[in-house]
Amino acid sequence: MPDWDVIVPQTTAELADLLVTQPGTLIAGGTDLLPRLQRIPATRPVRLIDLSRLSELRFIRQQANTIEIGTLTTHAEIGDSPLLQQVAPALVKASRSVGSPQTRTRGTLGGNLANASPAADTTTPLLCLDAQAVLVNRDGRRQVALSEFFIGPGQTCLGPGEYLYSVRFAIPSGRWGVDFEKLGRRNGMAIAVVSGSVFLELDENGTIVTARLALGSVAATPVRSRHAEAVLKRQPPTSSLFEEAAQAMISDISPIDDLRASCEYRYHAADVLIKRALAIASHQAESNLS
Amino acid sequence: MKTLEVHFTLNNQPQTLITAAGRTLLEVIREDFGLTGAKDACSGEGECGACTVLLDGAPVNSCLVLISQVEGHRVLTIEGLAPSGQLHPIQLAFIATSAIQCGYCTPGMVLATKALLDRTPVPTDAEIQEALAGNLCRCTGYTKIISGVKLAAQEVQHGR
Repeated sequence: MPDWDVIVPQTTAELADLLVTQPGTLIAGGTDLLPRLQRIPATRPVRLIDLSRLSELRFIRQQANTIEIGTLTTHAEIGDSPLLQQVAPALVKASRSVGSPQTRTRGTLGGNLANASPAADTTTPLLCLDAQAVLVNRDGRRQVALSEFFIGPGQTCLGPGEYLYSVRFAIPSGRWGVDFEKLGRRNGMAIAVVSGSVFLELDENGTIVTARLALGSVAATPVRSRHAEAVLKRQPPTSSLFEEAAQAMISDISPIDDLRASCEYRYHAADVLIKRALAIASHQAESNLS
Repeated sequence: MKTLEVHFTLNNQPQTLITAAGRTLLEVIREDFGLTGAKDACSGEGECGACTVLLDGAPVNSCLVLISQVEGHRVLTIEGLAPSGQLHPIQLAFIATSAIQCGYCTPGMVLATKALLDRTPVPTDAEIQEALAGNLCRCTGYTKIISGVKLAAQEVQHGR
Protein backbone atom coordinates (compact mmCIF):
# COMPACT_ATOMS: atom_id res chain seq x y z
CA MET A 1 0.00 0.00 0.00
CA PRO A 2 1.43 3.39 -0.92
CA ASP A 3 2.50 5.74 1.83
CA TRP A 4 0.16 8.57 1.00
CA ASP A 5 -1.09 11.35 3.20
CA VAL A 6 -4.48 12.72 2.25
CA ILE A 7 -5.63 16.04 3.68
CA VAL A 8 -9.25 17.00 3.22
CA PRO A 9 -9.91 20.75 3.57
CA GLN A 10 -13.51 21.61 4.49
CA THR A 11 -13.52 25.18 3.15
CA THR A 12 -11.74 27.13 0.43
CA ALA A 13 -10.16 29.30 3.13
CA GLU A 14 -8.66 26.17 4.65
CA LEU A 15 -7.47 25.11 1.19
CA ALA A 16 -5.73 28.43 0.60
CA ASP A 17 -3.97 28.12 3.98
CA LEU A 18 -2.96 24.52 3.32
CA LEU A 19 -1.37 25.45 0.02
CA VAL A 20 0.98 27.69 1.99
CA THR A 21 1.57 25.65 5.12
CA GLN A 22 1.50 22.06 3.77
CA PRO A 23 1.70 22.20 -0.01
CA GLY A 24 0.66 19.03 -1.78
CA THR A 25 -0.82 17.74 -4.99
CA LEU A 26 -4.44 18.74 -5.50
CA ILE A 27 -6.81 15.90 -6.32
CA ALA A 28 -10.18 16.73 -7.87
CA GLY A 29 -11.78 13.91 -9.90
CA GLY A 30 -8.54 11.91 -9.85
CA THR A 31 -9.22 10.28 -13.23
CA ASP A 32 -5.91 11.48 -14.60
CA LEU A 33 -3.88 11.88 -11.42
CA LEU A 34 -4.50 8.46 -9.86
CA PRO A 35 -3.31 6.44 -12.88
CA ARG A 36 -0.18 8.62 -12.93
CA LEU A 37 0.43 8.08 -9.21
CA GLN A 38 0.19 4.29 -9.73
CA ARG A 39 3.38 4.51 -11.76
CA ILE A 40 5.57 6.07 -9.08
CA PRO A 41 7.28 3.86 -6.49
CA ALA A 42 4.92 3.03 -3.60
CA THR A 43 7.59 4.07 -1.10
CA ARG A 44 7.76 7.63 -2.32
CA PRO A 45 5.76 9.85 0.03
CA VAL A 46 2.84 11.63 -1.58
CA ARG A 47 0.73 14.34 0.01
CA LEU A 48 -2.65 14.78 -1.61
CA ILE A 49 -5.05 17.59 -0.92
CA ASP A 50 -8.49 16.11 -1.59
CA LEU A 51 -10.93 18.76 -2.81
CA SER A 52 -14.03 16.56 -2.56
CA ARG A 53 -15.61 18.47 0.33
CA LEU A 54 -15.43 21.84 -1.41
CA SER A 55 -18.87 21.89 -3.01
CA GLU A 56 -18.55 25.70 -3.18
CA LEU A 57 -16.20 25.12 -6.15
CA ARG A 58 -18.85 23.19 -8.07
CA PHE A 59 -21.21 25.54 -9.89
CA ILE A 60 -22.35 26.85 -13.24
CA ARG A 61 -23.72 30.38 -12.92
CA GLN A 62 -24.74 33.30 -15.03
CA GLN A 63 -24.29 36.91 -13.93
CA ALA A 64 -25.55 39.41 -16.50
CA ASN A 65 -23.86 38.25 -19.70
CA THR A 66 -21.02 36.35 -18.03
CA ILE A 67 -20.89 32.62 -17.38
CA GLU A 68 -18.71 31.29 -14.60
CA ILE A 69 -17.95 27.59 -14.14
CA GLY A 70 -16.44 26.41 -10.86
CA THR A 71 -13.28 24.37 -11.02
CA LEU A 72 -14.88 21.21 -9.54
CA THR A 73 -17.78 21.09 -12.01
CA THR A 74 -17.67 17.66 -13.63
CA HIS A 75 -17.69 16.87 -17.33
CA ALA A 76 -21.05 15.14 -16.82
CA GLU A 77 -22.52 18.31 -15.28
CA ILE A 78 -21.24 20.48 -18.13
CA GLY A 79 -22.47 17.92 -20.68
CA ASP A 80 -25.95 17.96 -19.12
CA SER A 81 -26.28 21.72 -18.63
CA PRO A 82 -29.13 23.27 -20.68
CA LEU A 83 -27.64 26.74 -20.06
CA LEU A 84 -24.23 25.74 -21.45
CA GLN A 85 -25.86 23.90 -24.35
CA GLN A 86 -27.38 27.25 -25.28
CA VAL A 87 -24.39 29.54 -24.78
CA ALA A 88 -21.38 27.23 -25.20
CA PRO A 89 -22.44 24.18 -27.25
CA ALA A 90 -18.85 23.45 -28.33
CA LEU A 91 -17.81 23.15 -24.67
CA VAL A 92 -20.74 20.81 -24.06
CA LYS A 93 -19.73 18.69 -27.05
CA ALA A 94 -16.12 18.58 -25.85
CA SER A 95 -17.10 17.65 -22.28
CA ARG A 96 -19.29 14.83 -23.59
CA SER A 97 -16.30 13.49 -25.55
CA VAL A 98 -14.04 13.16 -22.50
CA GLY A 99 -13.26 9.51 -21.65
CA SER A 100 -16.09 7.21 -20.61
CA PRO A 101 -19.28 7.91 -18.61
CA GLN A 102 -17.34 6.80 -15.52
CA THR A 103 -14.61 9.36 -16.26
CA ARG A 104 -17.15 12.12 -16.88
CA THR A 105 -18.88 11.43 -13.56
CA ARG A 106 -15.63 12.15 -11.73
CA GLY A 107 -13.41 14.25 -13.98
CA THR A 108 -13.62 18.00 -13.51
CA LEU A 109 -13.17 21.06 -15.68
CA GLY A 110 -10.49 22.42 -13.35
CA GLY A 111 -8.60 19.14 -13.42
CA ASN A 112 -8.72 19.00 -17.20
CA LEU A 113 -7.34 22.56 -17.43
CA ALA A 114 -4.82 22.50 -14.58
CA ASN A 115 -3.23 19.27 -15.83
CA ALA A 116 -2.28 21.40 -18.83
CA SER A 117 -2.25 18.50 -21.24
CA PRO A 118 -2.00 19.79 -24.82
CA ALA A 119 -4.66 17.15 -25.60
CA ALA A 120 -7.23 18.26 -22.99
CA ASP A 121 -10.65 18.36 -24.64
CA THR A 122 -12.20 21.30 -22.80
CA THR A 123 -9.40 23.74 -23.57
CA THR A 124 -10.07 24.60 -27.22
CA PRO A 125 -13.77 25.55 -26.93
CA LEU A 126 -12.90 27.76 -23.95
CA LEU A 127 -10.02 29.39 -25.84
CA CYS A 128 -12.54 30.16 -28.61
CA LEU A 129 -14.78 31.86 -26.03
CA ASP A 130 -11.85 34.07 -24.96
CA ALA A 131 -12.27 32.56 -21.50
CA GLN A 132 -10.53 33.92 -18.42
CA ALA A 133 -9.14 31.75 -15.63
CA VAL A 134 -9.74 32.95 -12.07
CA LEU A 135 -6.80 32.06 -9.81
CA VAL A 136 -7.07 32.29 -6.05
CA ASN A 137 -4.57 32.27 -3.23
CA ARG A 138 -4.64 33.22 0.46
CA ASP A 139 -4.27 36.91 -0.33
CA GLY A 140 -6.85 37.28 -3.05
CA ARG A 141 -7.63 36.52 -6.65
CA ARG A 142 -6.41 37.41 -10.10
CA GLN A 143 -7.76 36.78 -13.56
CA VAL A 144 -5.64 35.69 -16.54
CA ALA A 145 -6.60 34.91 -20.11
CA LEU A 146 -6.87 31.14 -20.47
CA SER A 147 -4.44 31.41 -23.38
CA GLU A 148 -1.85 32.71 -20.87
CA PHE A 149 -2.71 30.02 -18.30
CA PHE A 150 -0.95 27.22 -20.21
CA ILE A 151 2.82 27.66 -20.44
CA GLY A 152 3.97 24.18 -21.45
CA PRO A 153 3.05 20.51 -21.32
CA GLY A 154 1.83 19.97 -17.76
CA GLN A 155 2.74 23.52 -16.82
CA THR A 156 0.47 26.43 -15.92
CA CYS A 157 1.04 29.94 -14.69
CA LEU A 158 -0.34 29.00 -11.24
CA GLY A 159 2.03 30.42 -8.64
CA PRO A 160 2.93 28.81 -5.29
CA GLY A 161 -0.10 28.75 -3.02
CA GLU A 162 -2.47 29.40 -5.89
CA TYR A 163 -5.30 27.28 -7.28
CA LEU A 164 -7.68 27.49 -10.23
CA TYR A 165 -11.01 28.71 -8.85
CA SER A 166 -13.17 29.04 -11.96
CA VAL A 167 -13.37 29.87 -15.63
CA ARG A 168 -15.37 32.85 -16.91
CA PHE A 169 -16.48 33.92 -20.36
CA ALA A 170 -18.91 36.38 -21.94
CA ILE A 171 -22.04 34.93 -23.53
CA PRO A 172 -21.63 35.42 -27.26
CA SER A 173 -24.14 37.68 -28.97
CA GLY A 174 -25.11 38.25 -32.59
CA ARG A 175 -25.03 35.64 -35.36
CA TRP A 176 -22.53 33.15 -34.10
CA GLY A 177 -21.72 29.51 -34.67
CA VAL A 178 -19.27 27.13 -33.03
CA ASP A 179 -17.96 23.62 -33.32
CA PHE A 180 -15.63 21.22 -31.54
CA GLU A 181 -14.05 18.36 -33.46
CA LYS A 182 -11.81 15.63 -32.16
CA LEU A 183 -9.94 12.85 -33.83
CA GLY A 184 -8.88 9.95 -31.64
CA ARG A 185 -7.53 6.49 -32.36
CA ARG A 186 -11.07 5.15 -32.01
CA ASN A 187 -14.53 6.65 -31.54
CA GLY A 188 -15.03 6.16 -27.82
CA MET A 189 -12.87 6.90 -24.78
CA ALA A 190 -9.96 8.16 -26.82
CA ILE A 191 -7.40 10.83 -26.03
CA ALA A 192 -7.25 13.28 -28.93
CA VAL A 193 -4.73 12.84 -31.72
CA VAL A 194 -5.87 16.28 -32.80
CA SER A 195 -8.75 18.39 -31.53
CA GLY A 196 -9.99 21.78 -32.59
CA SER A 197 -12.66 24.38 -31.96
CA VAL A 198 -14.01 27.25 -33.97
CA PHE A 199 -16.06 30.33 -33.10
CA LEU A 200 -17.40 32.45 -35.95
CA GLU A 201 -19.57 35.55 -35.79
CA LEU A 202 -21.17 36.99 -38.92
CA ASP A 203 -22.60 40.46 -39.52
CA GLU A 204 -25.98 41.06 -41.17
CA ASN A 205 -24.36 40.78 -44.62
CA GLY A 206 -22.91 37.39 -43.79
CA THR A 207 -19.32 38.65 -43.47
CA ILE A 208 -17.14 37.16 -40.75
CA VAL A 209 -16.61 39.75 -38.03
CA THR A 210 -15.08 37.54 -35.37
CA ALA A 211 -13.12 34.34 -35.93
CA ARG A 212 -11.43 32.31 -33.23
CA LEU A 213 -9.73 28.98 -33.85
CA ALA A 214 -7.99 26.81 -31.29
CA LEU A 215 -6.24 23.48 -31.62
CA GLY A 216 -5.19 20.76 -29.21
CA SER A 217 -2.47 18.08 -29.40
CA VAL A 218 -0.53 19.98 -32.07
CA ALA A 219 1.80 22.09 -29.90
CA ALA A 220 3.25 22.20 -26.37
CA THR A 221 0.03 23.83 -25.18
CA PRO A 222 -3.46 24.19 -26.65
CA VAL A 223 -3.07 27.07 -29.12
CA ARG A 224 -5.11 29.78 -30.82
CA SER A 225 -4.39 30.11 -34.52
CA ARG A 226 -4.03 33.89 -34.91
CA HIS A 227 -2.87 33.58 -38.51
CA ALA A 228 -5.96 31.63 -39.58
CA GLU A 229 -8.15 34.09 -37.67
CA ALA A 230 -6.58 37.02 -39.55
CA VAL A 231 -7.31 35.32 -42.87
CA LEU A 232 -10.97 34.81 -41.99
CA LYS A 233 -11.76 38.26 -40.70
CA ARG A 234 -13.92 40.58 -42.86
CA GLN A 235 -14.43 37.89 -45.50
CA PRO A 236 -17.55 35.98 -46.52
CA PRO A 237 -17.35 32.34 -45.35
CA THR A 238 -16.57 30.12 -48.35
CA SER A 239 -14.82 26.81 -48.69
CA SER A 240 -11.90 28.44 -50.53
CA LEU A 241 -11.49 30.88 -47.66
CA PHE A 242 -11.49 27.97 -45.20
CA GLU A 243 -8.83 26.31 -47.34
CA GLU A 244 -6.74 29.46 -47.07
CA ALA A 245 -7.30 29.63 -43.29
CA ALA A 246 -6.19 26.01 -42.88
CA GLN A 247 -3.00 26.86 -44.79
CA ALA A 248 -2.38 29.84 -42.52
CA MET A 249 -2.95 27.67 -39.45
CA ILE A 250 0.17 25.64 -40.23
CA SER A 251 2.45 28.42 -38.98
CA ASP A 252 0.72 28.36 -35.57
CA ILE A 253 1.15 24.68 -34.83
CA SER A 254 4.18 22.48 -34.19
CA PRO A 255 3.03 18.89 -33.77
CA ILE A 256 5.37 16.10 -32.72
CA ASP A 257 5.58 12.33 -33.17
CA ASP A 258 4.31 10.49 -30.13
CA LEU A 259 2.64 7.21 -29.22
CA ARG A 260 -0.70 8.30 -30.68
CA ALA A 261 0.34 9.70 -34.08
CA SER A 262 3.13 11.04 -36.23
CA CYS A 263 3.83 14.71 -36.77
CA GLU A 264 2.99 14.42 -40.46
CA TYR A 265 -0.35 12.77 -39.75
CA ARG A 266 -1.20 15.49 -37.25
CA TYR A 267 -0.59 18.23 -39.84
CA HIS A 268 -2.92 16.45 -42.20
CA ALA A 269 -5.57 15.71 -39.57
CA ALA A 270 -5.50 19.29 -38.23
CA ASP A 271 -6.10 20.58 -41.76
CA VAL A 272 -9.12 18.30 -42.31
CA LEU A 273 -10.50 18.88 -38.85
CA ILE A 274 -10.32 22.66 -38.87
CA LYS A 275 -12.00 22.91 -42.27
CA ARG A 276 -14.77 20.64 -41.02
CA ALA A 277 -15.22 22.74 -37.89
CA LEU A 278 -15.25 25.97 -39.93
CA ALA A 279 -17.95 24.59 -42.23
CA ILE A 280 -20.13 23.49 -39.33
CA ALA A 281 -19.66 26.73 -37.38
CA SER A 282 -20.38 28.95 -40.38
CA HIS A 283 -23.47 26.95 -41.28
CA GLN A 284 -24.66 27.34 -37.70
CA ALA A 285 -23.95 31.10 -37.73
CA GLU A 286 -25.79 31.55 -41.03
CA SER A 287 -28.90 29.85 -39.69
CA ASN A 288 -28.67 31.85 -36.46
CA LEU A 289 -30.67 34.97 -37.24
CA SER A 290 -30.72 36.45 -33.74
CA MET B 1 0.91 5.09 7.93
CA LYS B 2 -1.55 7.99 7.77
CA THR B 3 -5.12 7.02 8.58
CA LEU B 4 -8.47 8.71 8.29
CA GLU B 5 -12.06 8.13 9.33
CA VAL B 6 -14.70 7.90 6.61
CA HIS B 7 -18.50 7.74 6.83
CA PHE B 8 -20.50 6.58 3.84
CA THR B 9 -23.44 4.45 2.83
CA LEU B 10 -22.61 1.11 1.25
CA ASN B 11 -25.53 -0.78 -0.29
CA ASN B 12 -27.96 1.18 1.89
CA GLN B 13 -26.03 0.46 5.10
CA PRO B 14 -24.30 3.36 6.90
CA GLN B 15 -20.61 2.60 7.47
CA THR B 16 -17.80 4.14 9.48
CA LEU B 17 -14.31 3.08 8.60
CA ILE B 18 -10.86 3.96 9.91
CA THR B 19 -8.37 3.18 7.21
CA ALA B 20 -5.04 4.06 5.61
CA ALA B 21 -5.36 7.29 3.66
CA GLY B 22 -4.04 6.20 0.28
CA ARG B 23 -6.57 3.45 -0.43
CA THR B 24 -9.11 3.36 -3.22
CA LEU B 25 -12.81 2.62 -2.92
CA LEU B 26 -12.20 -0.60 -4.90
CA GLU B 27 -9.64 -1.84 -2.37
CA VAL B 28 -11.95 -1.06 0.53
CA ILE B 29 -15.05 -2.76 -0.85
CA ARG B 30 -13.13 -5.87 -1.88
CA GLU B 31 -10.73 -6.23 1.06
CA ASP B 32 -12.61 -4.73 4.01
CA PHE B 33 -16.16 -5.65 3.06
CA GLY B 34 -15.50 -8.82 1.04
CA LEU B 35 -17.63 -7.52 -1.82
CA THR B 36 -15.73 -8.99 -4.76
CA GLY B 37 -18.26 -8.26 -7.49
CA ALA B 38 -16.27 -5.20 -8.54
CA LYS B 39 -13.13 -6.45 -10.30
CA ASP B 40 -9.63 -5.06 -10.61
CA ALA B 41 -8.80 -5.74 -14.24
CA CYS B 42 -6.75 -2.86 -15.61
CA SER B 43 -4.91 -2.10 -12.36
CA GLY B 44 -6.07 1.41 -11.72
CA GLU B 45 -5.92 2.84 -15.22
CA GLY B 46 -9.65 3.54 -15.48
CA GLU B 47 -9.76 1.83 -18.87
CA CYS B 48 -11.89 -1.28 -18.42
CA GLY B 49 -14.88 -0.49 -16.20
CA ALA B 50 -14.80 -3.87 -14.45
CA CYS B 51 -14.66 -2.05 -11.10
CA THR B 52 -17.71 0.12 -11.87
CA VAL B 53 -19.92 0.96 -8.90
CA LEU B 54 -22.58 3.65 -8.56
CA LEU B 55 -21.66 6.70 -6.51
CA ASP B 56 -24.82 8.67 -5.69
CA GLY B 57 -26.40 6.81 -8.62
CA ALA B 58 -23.75 7.68 -11.22
CA PRO B 59 -21.23 5.18 -12.61
CA VAL B 60 -17.61 5.54 -11.46
CA ASN B 61 -14.48 3.46 -11.72
CA SER B 62 -13.98 2.56 -8.07
CA CYS B 63 -10.24 2.07 -8.73
CA LEU B 64 -10.04 5.82 -9.37
CA VAL B 65 -11.90 6.99 -6.28
CA LEU B 66 -9.92 7.60 -3.10
CA ILE B 67 -11.66 6.42 0.03
CA SER B 68 -11.56 9.97 1.44
CA GLN B 69 -13.65 11.08 -1.53
CA VAL B 70 -16.67 8.94 -0.58
CA GLU B 71 -17.21 10.75 2.73
CA GLY B 72 -20.95 11.41 3.00
CA HIS B 73 -21.81 9.66 -0.28
CA ARG B 74 -23.84 6.60 -1.30
CA VAL B 75 -22.09 3.62 -2.89
CA LEU B 76 -23.99 0.83 -4.64
CA THR B 77 -22.15 -2.34 -5.67
CA ILE B 78 -23.54 -5.29 -7.61
CA GLU B 79 -24.15 -7.07 -4.28
CA GLY B 80 -26.50 -4.25 -3.28
CA LEU B 81 -28.58 -4.67 -6.40
CA ALA B 82 -29.94 -8.03 -5.23
CA PRO B 83 -29.68 -7.85 -1.44
CA SER B 84 -32.20 -10.61 -0.75
CA GLY B 85 -30.83 -12.92 -3.42
CA GLN B 86 -33.71 -12.06 -5.75
CA LEU B 87 -32.05 -10.99 -9.00
CA HIS B 88 -32.68 -7.51 -10.37
CA PRO B 89 -34.59 -7.30 -13.71
CA ILE B 90 -31.37 -6.14 -15.43
CA GLN B 91 -29.58 -9.27 -14.22
CA LEU B 92 -32.45 -11.49 -15.35
CA ALA B 93 -32.45 -9.80 -18.76
CA PHE B 94 -28.69 -10.38 -19.14
CA ILE B 95 -29.22 -14.07 -18.36
CA ALA B 96 -32.19 -14.36 -20.74
CA THR B 97 -30.22 -12.86 -23.63
CA SER B 98 -26.96 -14.73 -22.91
CA ALA B 99 -25.25 -11.39 -22.38
CA ILE B 100 -22.80 -13.14 -20.08
CA GLN B 101 -19.96 -15.44 -20.95
CA CYS B 102 -17.05 -15.41 -18.50
CA GLY B 103 -18.89 -12.90 -16.32
CA TYR B 104 -15.89 -10.80 -15.41
CA CYS B 105 -17.23 -7.58 -16.93
CA THR B 106 -20.84 -8.30 -15.97
CA PRO B 107 -21.12 -6.52 -12.59
CA GLY B 108 -19.80 -3.34 -14.22
CA MET B 109 -22.02 -3.76 -17.28
CA VAL B 110 -25.11 -4.29 -15.11
CA LEU B 111 -24.41 -1.25 -12.95
CA ALA B 112 -23.63 0.95 -15.98
CA THR B 113 -26.96 -0.26 -17.39
CA LYS B 114 -28.76 0.62 -14.16
CA ALA B 115 -27.33 4.15 -14.25
CA LEU B 116 -28.50 4.47 -17.86
CA LEU B 117 -32.03 3.16 -17.30
CA ASP B 118 -32.52 5.26 -14.16
CA ARG B 119 -32.04 8.36 -16.32
CA THR B 120 -33.20 7.13 -19.71
CA PRO B 121 -35.85 4.41 -19.33
CA VAL B 122 -36.16 3.83 -23.10
CA PRO B 123 -32.66 4.27 -24.53
CA THR B 124 -31.75 4.19 -28.21
CA ASP B 125 -29.00 1.87 -29.47
CA ALA B 126 -26.65 4.85 -29.64
CA GLU B 127 -27.46 5.80 -26.04
CA ILE B 128 -26.82 2.22 -24.91
CA GLN B 129 -23.48 2.11 -26.71
CA GLU B 130 -22.50 5.46 -25.21
CA ALA B 131 -23.51 4.38 -21.70
CA LEU B 132 -21.44 1.19 -21.96
CA ALA B 133 -18.43 2.80 -23.68
CA GLY B 134 -16.43 2.63 -20.46
CA ASN B 135 -17.03 -1.10 -19.92
CA LEU B 136 -14.92 -3.52 -21.90
CA CYS B 137 -15.97 -7.10 -22.64
CA ARG B 138 -13.45 -9.52 -24.08
CA CYS B 139 -15.60 -12.57 -24.73
CA THR B 140 -19.36 -12.23 -25.20
CA GLY B 141 -19.10 -9.43 -27.67
CA TYR B 142 -21.34 -6.45 -27.32
CA THR B 143 -24.33 -7.48 -29.44
CA LYS B 144 -25.88 -9.68 -26.80
CA ILE B 145 -25.13 -7.19 -24.07
CA ILE B 146 -27.00 -4.50 -26.01
CA SER B 147 -29.89 -6.94 -26.46
CA GLY B 148 -29.77 -7.54 -22.72
CA VAL B 149 -30.00 -3.82 -22.00
CA LYS B 150 -32.98 -3.47 -24.35
CA LEU B 151 -34.80 -6.38 -22.74
CA ALA B 152 -33.98 -4.96 -19.31
CA ALA B 153 -35.45 -1.60 -20.36
CA GLN B 154 -38.71 -3.31 -21.35
CA GLU B 155 -38.84 -5.34 -18.16
CA VAL B 156 -38.12 -2.34 -15.94
CA GLN B 157 -40.78 -0.34 -17.85
CA HIS B 158 -43.33 -3.05 -17.20
CA GLY B 159 -42.33 -3.20 -13.57
CA ARG B 160 -41.29 -6.83 -13.70
